[in-house]
Amino acid sequence: MNPAREALARVADARVALVLVVVLGVAAEFASASSIQLWSFVLVNMLAAQSINILTGIAGQISLGHAGFMSIGAYGSALAMIKLGLPLPLSVPLSTACSAIVGWALSFAVGRVREFYLAMMTLGFGMILYELVREWSSLTGGVAGLSAIPSAALASLSAFGVKLTPARYFQLMLAVCALVIWLLRNFIKSPYGRAFFAIQTSEVAAGSMGIPRAATKRLAYTLSAALMGLAGAFYAHLVGYLGPESFDLNRSVEALVMAIIGGLGTLVGPLLGSLLFTYLPERLQLFAEYQFIVYGALLLLSFILLPRGLAGLFLPRPRYYAATQVTGGAKSEPAAPSSDSEKLLQIDGVSIAFLGLKALDGVSMDVKAGHLLGLIGPNGSGKSTLVNLICGLYRPTGGRILFDGSRVDGLADHRVARLGVIRTFQDPRLIRAFTVRENVLLGAHRLYSSNPASFAFRWRGAMAQEGRFLGEADRVIAQVGLAHVADTPVHELTYGDQRMTELARAVLARPRLVLLDEPAAGLSEAETQRLEAVLKSLKDSGATVVLIDHHMEFLRGLVDEVVVLDSGKAIYRGPMAAMYQDEKVVEAYLGSSVEEAEPAKRSIDA
Amino acid sequence: MTFTLQLIFAGVCVGATYALIAIGLTLTFWSTRTMNFGQGSLLMVAAVAATTLMSAKLSAYAAVPIALLLSTVLMILVERIAIRPLARLGGSMGWVVATLGFGLLLQGIVARFFGSQAIMFPSLVFGPLDFVTIAGIRVSSQYLTVLACCIGLMCVMEIFIRRTRWGRAVRAVAHDAEAAAVAGVPVKRVVVASFAASGALAGLAGILVSQITGTVEPQFGFNLVILGFVAAVFGGMGSIAGALIGGIALGVAEKLAGGFVSTAFGDAMAFAILMAVLAIRPQGLFGRREILKV
Repeated sequence: MNPAREALARVADARVALVLVVVLGVAAEFASASSIQLWSFVLVNMLAAQSINILTGIAGQISLGHAGFMSIGAYGSALAMIKLGLPLPLSVPLSTACSAIVGWALSFAVGRVREFYLAMMTLGFGMILYELVREWSSLTGGVAGLSAIPSAALASLSAFGVKLTPARYFQLMLAVCALVIWLLRNFIKSPYGRAFFAIQTSEVAAGSMGIPRAATKRLAYTLSAALMGLAGAFYAHLVGYLGPESFDLNRSVEALVMAIIGGLGTLVGPLLGSLLFTYLPERLQLFAEYQFIVYGALLLLSFILLPRGLAGLFLPRPRYYAATQVTGGAKSEPAAPSSDSEKLLQIDGVSIAFLGLKALDGVSMDVKAGHLLGLIGPNGSGKSTLVNLICGLYRPTGGRILFDGSRVDGLADHRVARLGVIRTFQDPRLIRAFTVRENVLLGAHRLYSSNPASFAFRWRGAMAQEGRFLGEADRVIAQVGLAHVADTPVHELTYGDQRMTELARAVLARPRLVLLDEPAAGLSEAETQRLEAVLKSLKDSGATVVLIDHHMEFLRGLVDEVVVLDSGKAIYRGPMAAMYQDEKVVEAYLGSSVEEAEPAKRSIDA
Repeated sequence: MTFTLQLIFAGVCVGATYALIAIGLTLTFWSTRTMNFGQGSLLMVAAVAATTLMSAKLSAYAAVPIALLLSTVLMILVERIAIRPLARLGGSMGWVVATLGFGLLLQGIVARFFGSQAIMFPSLVFGPLDFVTIAGIRVSSQYLTVLACCIGLMCVMEIFIRRTRWGRAVRAVAHDAEAAAVAGVPVKRVVVASFAASGALAGLAGILVSQITGTVEPQFGFNLVILGFVAAVFGGMGSIAGALIGGIALGVAEKLAGGFVSTAFGDAMAFAILMAVLAIRPQGLFGRREILKV
């Protein structure tokens, strides 16, 4: 590791950061007015860049209209002081809250679209607010702007009875920013922070772990809008004048550039970005002149040249859970008790069609509690479609699905998962940059009961919960035989290890019903044996398992009974041994008549 | 009444240019599921280039093709450096940001070297005061020319897409690029051609719109592309007729709101329509919902 990386890694350490903050605060007493002005702008820009970072870098939602939130915070706080006569300690939180509420409301609309539609929609949001600020002259002063805002620059600002000089105002902002960063850091490490990363990677996989995508996005928008609103409020009282041109597209772009070049997905990145792009225009006349040309060029090239930003260049990726940090005992809890109802899962005449093509046609079957059911059938027979239906990814066009006696068809996927129905995918869906432990922990999402705030403030209940699941995760990781790679990012692992990671994630969720989509495919002999052991212990713990696989020998040792699907119909159900004698099954596999049934047995066995 | 009719007519003409922009966006969406977020700068570059060349005493017959060539080449560049390497990474964040960056870069360069003030765009065919009277209302000849050009271009596009080999190839790639490649469609060439055509359409739209607005400036085009996107979404990102209907509806709504309330309200309303359409019916009024594949 080179010295620069080491130094920066130290800055990222909480204690060093705290010392730096104190030193900066003291230094403000002696610094020149122009330095303090510049430092203050770094803080405002840093908040704006963190706002983009939370939304785009962590939750994966693009926004090109973030200046809109900034204008809400800025005009909100300025007007609250001027028109309502509120003091600074009230006006700033109030306008921050306003911005957060708008972010929350916006998330309902933008939550319905994804990818570049989202980019366009947020661009439109920014434009609407810009027009609003410009045209609502009676309130905002229109194009002429809003002047005489109580501010540090005009020496007209006070809080708690103290006159705020620029240095005092900077110290106040510094303290607030330090607190905000600390809260963000705790939040990002929490299950809710992990959920942000999960919806960025795959909304389908996130839903399968019980992460509600809409609510998670709402939280991301609300948080991000609050940060941007706070940046705006601080900005208003820093400069004392607001005009609509301060909140046009260029402002949104600036925040984006700082966050992207600094490094999305880390907390240090946006800080680096804001430092760089606050100082450069100030120190380099040439840069100021070509500022927007440079911003354009940076946006154009950054993802190719600096995919992880400056932070990625200088810092190792932050790891949330090194083994040494594990606290709390590995207290193992019994799996959720199975209900008394004999049939845990009932599928009743379920059909689904895609563009007129019937993928499933009146399939009925049930799975007894505590059983291990094999679901087999030729390719395209509808096995994965059935799993997707049970998990709530698709809605059946006909029929009913009951889990533990209550209907689950029509429920959203994360709600089904929260009931304890957990699945794996044919191709493992993991967060590639996360370690094995971080990925496995995602499985526990449905079991956390503390709210996001208690994680941000590190309250005892939340921390105890986190410690408990960390311990449990380590136990499960050991069980699947991945203890030696627990802190390795999964993209560095073999395919087999990735599949085992996904399995461990499912086990940690304490599932009542597990649906495994071809878990043995691509596994080595040794891995297959470990898989068998894990499945047996799952069954012993009381979980019910539905296993899709083509590997007959593997299934034979495990299943209680099998269901055979063919062309969207359930054609056989019963013990595995009798399956080979069934006419329909043989025909489905060989496409031949009964007379030729003898070779079929061998082909299924193969 | 006359006032309303005049507003509606102006809205139809402006809306037709939105539709033209929408088709430029749709073309690349068909071939690659991407679009240039900096398309507005291509409109602007073409208009500024034409103006500059004509003020250098070049005939419009030479200036306009050169301007169109410029926007075409730039769009091919966009595909090469801002889209192709980034679309491969998966997700849309990379290419959205990169194409936006490209647009800002062009905008910055024009602002730096040609000034950020609005410049007069010379009238190509008719003067700004020429008009004809239809059914008792005065109709600006310039607006009429723009409308005729837009509709003519769209008819040509529609025939091209439906009737020619290349049109069929574009549709095949739009439907399923992999299957098209297997069937022997030169997918890469279709993609580049779609970007070239999109760039040319953007340049044409820029020059036509500047006939209506009379001036061009570096920011020119940015809002227009959002409006074009609204029209495209109306049409479900696929049909030329849908884009035309969407564009005209938007143009008329904008002009009526602008005429009876205020111009700024017209703009804000268009953005609000964008958000409402996307939130309520993301697949557009004429489009079909895409199936989630797991």
